[in-house]
Amino acid sequence: MKDELDNREERVANLKGMGCSRKRVEDARFTQGKGNYVDDIKLDGMLFGDFVRSPYAHARIKSINTEAALQVPGVLAVLTAADLAPLGLHWMPTLAGDKQMVLADGKVLFQGQEVAFVVAEDRYAAADGIEAVEVEYEELPVIVNPFESLKSDVVLREDLDPKAPGAHGPRKHHNHIFTWEAGDKETTQEVISNAEVVAEESMYYHRTHPCPLETCGCVASMDKVNGKLTLWGTFQAPHAIRTVVSLISGIEEHNIRVISPDIGGGFGNKVGAYPGYVCSVVASIVTGKPVKWIEDRMDNLMTTAFARDYHMTGKISATKEGKITGLHCQVVADHGGFDACADPTKFPAGFMNICTGSYDIPTAYLEVDGVYTNKAPGGVSYRCSFRVTEAVYFIERMIEVLAIKLNMDAAELRRINFIKKEQFPYKAALGWEYDSGDYHTAWDKALKTVDYEGLRKEQAERVEAFKRGETRKIMGIGLSFFTEIVGAGPVKNCDILGLGMFDSCEIRIHPTGSAIARLGTISQGQGHATTFAQILASEIGLPADSITIEEGDTDTAPYGLGTYGSRSTPVAGAATAMAGRKIRAKAQMIAAYLLEVHDNDVEFDVDRFVVKGAPERFKTMKEIAFAAYNQAIPGLEPGLEAVSYYDPPNMTYPFGAYVCVMDIDVDTGVPEIRRFYALDDCGTRINPMIIEGQVHGGLTEALAVALGQEIAYDDMGNVKTGTLMDFFLPTAWEVPNYETDFTVTPSPHHPIGAKGVGESPHVGGVPCFSNAVQDAFRPFGNTHTNMPHDHWRIWRTANELGLHS
Amino acid sequence: MELSDEIIINAPKSHVYAALNDPNILQQCIPGCEELIKHSDTELEAKVVLKIGPVKARFSGTVQLDTTGAPDAFSLTGQGNGGAAGHAKGGADVTLESDGDITVLRYQAKAEIGGKLAQLGSRLIQSTAKKLAAKFFQSFAEAVSETAEA
Repeated sequence: MKDELDNREERVANLKGMGCSRKRVEDARFTQGKGNYVDDIKLDGMLFGDFVRSPYAHARIKSINTEAALQVPGVLAVLTAADLAPLGLHWMPTLAGDKQMVLADGKVLFQGQEVAFVVAEDRYAAADGIEAVEVEYEELPVIVNPFESLKSDVVLREDLDPKAPGAHGPRKHHNHIFTWEAGDKETTQEVISNAEVVAEESMYYHRTHPCPLETCGCVASMDKVNGKLTLWGTFQAPHAIRTVVSLISGIEEHNIRVISPDIGGGFGNKVGAYPGYVCSVVASIVTGKPVKWIEDRMDNLMTTAFARDYHMTGKISATKEGKITGLHCQVVADHGGFDACADPTKFPAGFMNICTGSYDIPTAYLEVDGVYTNKAPGGVSYRCSFRVTEAVYFIERMIEVLAIKLNMDAAELRRINFIKKEQFPYKAALGWEYDSGDYHTAWDKALKTVDYEGLRKEQAERVEAFKRGETRKIMGIGLSFFTEIVGAGPVKNCDILGLGMFDSCEIRIHPTGSAIARLGTISQGQGHATTFAQILASEIGLPADSITIEEGDTDTAPYGLGTYGSRSTPVAGAATAMAGRKIRAKAQMIAAYLLEVHDNDVEFDVDRFVVKGAPERFKTMKEIAFAAYNQAIPGLEPGLEAVSYYDPPNMTYPFGAYVCVMDIDVDTGVPEIRRFYALDDCGTRINPMIIEGQVHGGLTEALAVALGQEIAYDDMGNVKTGTLMDFFLPTAWEVPNYETDFTVTPSPHHPIGAKGVGESPHVGGVPCFSNAVQDAFRPFGNTHTNMPHDHWRIWRTANELGLHS
Repeated sequence: MELSDEIIINAPKSHVYAALNDPNILQQCIPGCEELIKHSDTELEAKVVLKIGPVKARFSGTVQLDTTGAPDAFSLTGQGNGGAAGHAKGGADVTLESDGDITVLRYQAKAEIGGKLAQLGSRLIQSTAKKLAAKFFQSFAEAVSETAEA
């Protein structure tokens, strides 16, 4: 075979490997409307299932009458808890060690809870059937506030023994779930009580929802002849779902095939197991036909996996010069009616203990209390690693509050407290070991780019102009510096339902020099088929365009824990590189045999192995691939395949520096984002174009959460934001132009030095937008106001500060 | 949600009061009322079809009357259940005042709404409730005037 590309640069470019802004291979089908989502799956005789949902947030169920529903044309069956109980399927385990009702068993605990499952010939008949199911409820007192819940005599979870410990230790009250602590309580309290300066603040990080474009859904098909169950669904963790389905249904795992087809966004919403999956499987077994269940938008917002809902109280202490000495954080976490948080088992409050942020804080203490209320279960990582947005919001607000207390510039306060470059690997007070970072360089670059000093000067002039009555617009400069903790994670301390959080990659090189790689993750829009092929291209020297990436079919892909918490690149990306290196090691032996030299006398060069010191003697990877299948090589098995299961030695710690410049009209409460600058350091950059896309998306979701997106309840437990009329999704109208920038500080322990980026912009973006609003009001006496900063709340802040008089 | 209004009815107070207690007249006037059964002087049962925005449902409910202030005032409390569409409970205080041959009816109503109805946003419900109340009292005023003339 003749090598056509002698020029090294051209050979590198031809691979489209790491560092190349390769166009997304997925987009050909997505932009033509040729994606294949769950709702696109149509099988012969397929039925449709949908739920009767509770209109009450807390009620006893006195009776369910399904007779009229069964008379509705097209309705085949109505399942209730009584039907599932003999199978033991009326309850299911949650990811957080709790259990959750699949269908209401005697009572309901939140509005929208699943009460009965109507199975019909199509979704219209199912809707008619739902209307005809008669449920008699007896209203019970509703609790939507976790502080009240901890004091209330009303027992929400009558199924639990109030004195028995929960999955995460002792419970203090019948509505209490767990207390989780990190750090040194006594020393922290001592440091704070003896400190020169202490700033305190209570903040509520409101409940919100990932609201992916495609809602959750599945198609279950039980083949009664061969005993095989196939389950298509919007699963961010298809392999874990297979194991869960096997454990709760009793169907042997080899008889279950779970397939995640194209997924229209996940953002954490599609990690958990929902009653719809269980009911669809049961309905398929009962009817012998495939059963589809797809949420509508209201179902999605009301019932599946909310995010946040953390009430956080902080104390931060410092010297008069601003050197931080201690941090105390107390959280009351509203988990809703069941504890269904998607966190690693040992971390019921996720990685909230990253709340010391990017700062060298010698002493810290964190305490989180999980509480039941009459709200929907969930508690997922909405575009962030586990509870990291909460942690970063908390510390980035505490820094601002401390700056006010010290009468100091918040940028300078950050600078003097950053962990220094030479301190990495840095062991934080709450236990994590940060792998690498260069915070000062990133911060200085950000401040210089936006002309921070100039902005502060302009802001001061604006304040004066406002006071003189020359303008009704005030100006805010939002700052945030964040450190993410992603890539969960080391099997020694990270598991979900006992499954270690490793991930995997299996590669098969075809004889003609192209390849397929399968991973344990699943793309929901991240572009895995593009980027993982680039990692492999650089590792094995075959063009990315010749490598197919496949994920999401548990019958073919190796086992992995899925995609969420920015773990795909840090974990599965590492597995890909490691599997690629196994391929390369075998390729080296084949090359040496073909070149008739010793193994150690050849070396890898872009797309080939060359004889050391004689680069004109080489074998390309394409030639080697063919040889692997057509030559009998002594001592080597035929073929060229490899598999790697990667257990990361540590998390990765991406970071970034964001600045937002905002003008606020105090009379309308409308914020106008004049400039948003985002510098991200995600270590080695695989595809800069995809990174930029991720940053844009993450910032837009951050804007949403900071400026209006909320799942709000009234006192009766009604979800007030159950439609897109009330639930804020930003459009092009609200979204500013983003400026992106970067520094590169590779992860020292990751095979290619990559850290992950999908969630960084959200984690850093929320406090940045919020700080901009708060900073605008700082000259007028504001210390802190809670998100979301919608127009009305901003107007109210202006009003309370006397800016309307 | 709170509603209040004042309606002038072209009939004497005694007629108005009697009509308010007449299930036939009430059934005629309540928008979407399919059935109204009077169990006693203070207890009624009703079936009403309501459409609020995209939600259309048949509500079945009970109403209790408090007539201790008769004929100048009376109050009522009630609750209704619309199945999947949601549920409502509430009450109203009604006063009647004679002004020559005409009667001025004033009411203050309070309602709590739950389920799908509540999720559609209070702005939609408030305006629909106002419209329904207006429709009721318009029909009621007409019906009472007719009986007064007859």
